Amino acid sequence: MKKIFLISFIGLVFSYAFTPIQATDNIDKNALTTSCRKKMEPYKYDSQKFTRINYQKKAQQLEVEIPVFVGEKYRLVFNLTAMPVAPIGINVYTKPKESGKREVIYTNKGLSPDEKELVFDAPRLRKLFVDYDVPADSTDQKLSGYILFMVGYK
Amino acid sequence: MVSTQKSLVLKGTMLIVAGMLFMACGNETQKDESVSSAKDSVVSVESETNTVSYSLPSPLQIASIFKKSGLKYQDGITTSQKDPSKYTTNLSKSLNLGVYSADLSYCVLNKQNQEAMNYMKLCRQLAENLGMGTVFEQSNLSKRFEKNIGNEDSLAYIIAELQMVTDMYLDENEQPQITAIVFSGAWIESMYLGSRIYEKSKDKSMNTKLTEQMTILGSIVNALKAVQKKDPAIDGLIADVQSIKDIYDQLPSVKANPIKDDEDKDITLTDEEVLKLTKRISELRAKFING
Repeated sequence: MKKIFLISFIGLVFSYAFTPIQATDNIDKNALTTSCRKKMEPYKYDSQKFTRINYQKKAQQLEVEIPVFVGEKYRLVFNLTAMPVAPIGINVYTKPKESGKREVIYTNKGLSPDEKELVFDAPRLRKLFVDYDVPADSTDQKLSGYILFMVGYK
Repeated sequence: MVSTQKSLVLKGTMLIVAGMLFMACGNETQKDESVSSAKDSVVSVESETNTVSYSLPSPLQIASIFKKSGLKYQDGITTSQKDPSKYTTNLSKSLNLGVYSADLSYCVLNKQNQEAMNYMKLCRQLAENLGMGTVFEQSNLSKRFEKNIGNEDSLAYIIAELQMVTDMYLDENEQPQITAIVFSGAWIESMYLGSRIYEKSKDKSMNTKLTEQMTILGSIVNALKAVQKKDPAIDGLIADVQSIKDIYDQLPSVKANPIKDDEDKDITLTDEEVLKLTKRISELRAKFING
């Protein structure tokens, strides 16, 4: 009987040890933040936001609204090092997605997928709308990752 | 004997397979939970495929904007309530952490070293009461703050770092509601300080900056609404902040000059209009401070 328990226990340990862990859940958020802050210089840190991206069978659009002040200068830094090798669109707009007439003021379209840190100095506005366009994943790989963006002001 | 051994091996194998199946199921549950918690960590969920969240500014930025527009230090207008143990609910603790953060930023940018030290200690005590004491231990923030007293730039940098560490902590612990509540408290306190100084100076640029601050009220209300499920006490706070927006939206100067998000223009309020706003801000500030 003891042998059965021993074998079972070893089996459980092995099965646990070899259970695949999604690498993106073990990201070093401190390292991402530190890296972003370096890119932020000479702007001062204001806020940051980690957004978890889960690729699904349907395409998704995640939007972050950033209220800003007209007289100030702002920089946005995006860090994509915790994202899987999969396409994602990053666009910054002047208005929210439900608004018909909005202007795109930044896009990562056409940039190399190897560029993992993107810097954008925003024009004078009252609000910025960051949209993450997550395409549909038909492969059912359950890809996921994190995008960090940091806001700085001068 | 051989048959017994075979039976044992068979049973063992079955248990291993059962164990692996169990772990596999457990892992699936974990994945589901991680998806669910990821949704929670995003401030608002409209539908599975369309999400809106909010990134609010720091109290230091608001103090910095007022400072740039000529806001001078006025003695005795920051909060005199210096007993953090008075606050017993998460809502009152978070709101007053915001109030203290705004006062800290105001004092640092105006070189009021002793007061800045006091508010730093109060922030730390309230953060500890909220279970966030570790943020002050990171990178020796408290000690570095004391060491750099008198150096405005270094202190501002340390406060920005404190904000960054706090943002990371709240993100890691999935407490976006604290971020929104703390900012609400900080915003009310900053507006109170700005309006008190405007009362004396009647400076036009301060008037413009106070009005400009009103444009983020909608974002504060929406950010609070997005996290209200996390703490039912937020409902009352939403109504409070909304009440300022309602007053502002009905002011004749505002109705006559509606500002769009992508427009670069200023509104100047009449003294009467500023007074109307100041009255409501002062009432809410007193409510927050009294816990």
